[in-house]
Amino acid sequence: MSLLHLAWCYFRSRALLAMSALAIALGVAVLFAVLAVVNGFLAQVESTIRDFSGDAVVAAIPERLAPEAELQDYLDALEAVEGLESQQPRLNYYGLIGRRGARAIDDPRTTDLSGLLLVGLDRLPEGMKRLQADPQLEAVAFGPEEVPPGAILVGKVLAAKAGVGVGDSLMVISFKRGSQGYPVPVQTSFRVEAVFTTGRYDHDIDRAIVRREDLALMIGDGLGFNEIGLRGRPGLAPEQLADRAEAALLAAGLKQKGWPMLVSTWRAQGGNFLRAVENQKGILSAVFFCIVLVAAYQLVATLALTVTEKRRDIGVLGALGAAPGRIVTFFVSLGLVIAAVGSALGLLIGTWLTANLEWVQDRIFGERIFNAETYIFDHVPVAVDWSSVLILLGATLGAALVFSFLPAWLAARLNIVDALRR
Amino acid sequence: MSDSAAAPAVLQALDLHKTYFMGGAELRVLRGASMELRAGEVAALRGASGSGKSTLLHLLGLLDRLDEGEVAFNGRPTRRLSQSARARLRASTIGFVFQQFQLLPELSALENVLVPRRLACGMSWFRRRGLERANARALLGTVGLSDRLGHRPGQLSGGEQQRVAIARALISRPAALLADEPTGSLDRKAGAEVLELLLELAQENHTAVLLTTHDPEIAARCSRVLHLEEGRVRQE
Ligand SMILES: Nc1ncnc2c1ncn2[C@@H]1O[C@H](COP(=O)(O)OP(=O)(O)O)[C@@H](O)[C@H]1O
Ligand SMILES: [Mg+2]
Repeated sequence: MSLLHLAWCYFRSRALLAMSALAIALGVAVLFAVLAVVNGFLAQVESTIRDFSGDAVVAAIPERLAPEAELQDYLDALEAVEGLESQQPRLNYYGLIGRRGARAIDDPRTTDLSGLLLVGLDRLPEGMKRLQADPQLEAVAFGPEEVPPGAILVGKVLAAKAGVGVGDSLMVISFKRGSQGYPVPVQTSFRVEAVFTTGRYDHDIDRAIVRREDLALMIGDGLGFNEIGLRGRPGLAPEQLADRAEAALLAAGLKQKGWPMLVSTWRAQGGNFLRAVENQKGILSAVFFCIVLVAAYQLVATLALTVTEKRRDIGVLGALGAAPGRIVTFFVSLGLVIAAVGSALGLLIGTWLTANLEWVQDRIFGERIFNAETYIFDHVPVAVDWSSVLILLGATLGAALVFSFLPAWLAARLNIVDALRR
Repeated sequence: MSDSAAAPAVLQALDLHKTYFMGGAELRVLRGASMELRAGEVAALRGASGSGKSTLLHLLGLLDRLDEGEVAFNGRPTRRLSQSARARLRASTIGFVFQQFQLLPELSALENVLVPRRLACGMSWFRRRGLERANARALLGTVGLSDRLGHRPGQLSGGEQQRVAIARALISRPAALLADEPTGSLDRKAGAEVLELLLELAQENHTAVLLTTHDPEIAARCSRVLHLEEGRVRQE
């Protein structure tokens, strides 16, 4: 049926058509790379949130809980939730640490102190890596370890700021509720067990992990937790896990009736930031797809020129029995060949770009445009979402189809005898 | 060929009119031309340059719209046919050979010969591809080009190009072959060879031929000679 072979021959022998394909290729490549980076960023944000919080989080807001209940009651009630893989109680609290060699750790007003989030855990969360003593070596993932008593694990940026390393002792200041209801400063000395990285700058700068029991003791928290992270079996939607957990707590009488949800998903935990990134992804896709559209739009001019150049061929095809519809199909196929070659080339270039992003940044821009402080992650995360690549390809070919139609129609309208005469 | 008067008419033209308008001036090229072409016969259409031979051939081949009159293939009128029905008729019934060869420059000799088959076969092309290729190869062998299958038109001499064009015109075994000064761009020797080949193959395929020429020698090789004068066809 097709004269695809002839279209391919035209394509091969015309530099103009190759240029057209190249324009589409550049558009597709840039869009591919941008999507991969935004997507990688989104995936990384999601996975750090998810690694830390779990799929769903039970928030222990005191007035919504049953007055007499203890942690174990919650754990027992949740244990029965269908599809639950693991649960981890957490106690989050704010603290201060002083720089090493700082004059007065016992005066909380000193400017040498920096704030941090103390995360009290029984076991280390997923997605964290232990920094090696030798800075040349890559960080390695922690095993499923319990947090040892008296130990503190410090984020790598925080460790650098405080000037502490593994084996050092670190004085942490926090506050407990005093007998008159006023906060009273407390301080505890921890041994630095490890320096970790989450891959995310904003976590590495303000997080330290201690044993939940130690923290509860230090700040005098009777309940010993303020949230429970839940992880569901693979394939179970976080929303479903959250709903089941909520129902289980209600059934066990652990949640006060009439209060809003106690259990939220990791997505809700990510909050506006996550949604902002998702929005950004949509906007960037639309903007960069316009580049592809413009690249595809020049097909109108390129093909119109080809129609003029190939008038005689069109006449010959007509004389040999090609109906006008066939001529339209031919030129639309030519447009599609150009777009297909362009897209394929664009995917190759885009894949290369995303694989060599660091190199490209160094060579072309002379500096890292994505630096850790502004970009959160210490490397540029890249993730190719093949379903959106497929949509991109479909949209590119669709645009080529639309833009090829006008020149194709012009070709089909040519009078055969006139065309043969050149 | 002598019994062709009794054969049925493949192609009939009745009272054809065609007028060109050129910036106000009108040029009445055909003014009631009528003729017929019988199965298997070879007819020559003679006439002075500019007398309208090509115009008539284009109308007979359904390449152009006529102002008045009727062209019928195997007794079936074509005037009211749609564009695509006319295209289908061209693909199935009519072969063309042009003075300027009119091969597609990007395609090889073999591919050029296959173009009418691609156009005629539709989806069944993919099933028939091997068979069609073998046929085209054989036909190119018959016209003496078996060692030029992969050559592009630009790599062939004029005589060779016209032989490719003849193979292309005959590949679908059309009932009628319309040849517009088929030797007009060739030197005497090449022209004579091409003409010989064309007549031979047409006879083998039982294809009726109408060729235009202003060369009396060529006309003498044909079974019947028609003259186009003042927009009408006169039998010799
Ligand atoms: N498309 C056209 N527009 C105007 N005049 C034309 C056109 N085609 C042919 N003619 C004129 O019609 C006359 C017949 O042309 P043609 O059929 O090519 O003659 P022949 O083939 O006998 O030499 C010529 O005078 C030519 O200039
Ligand atoms: Mg002529």
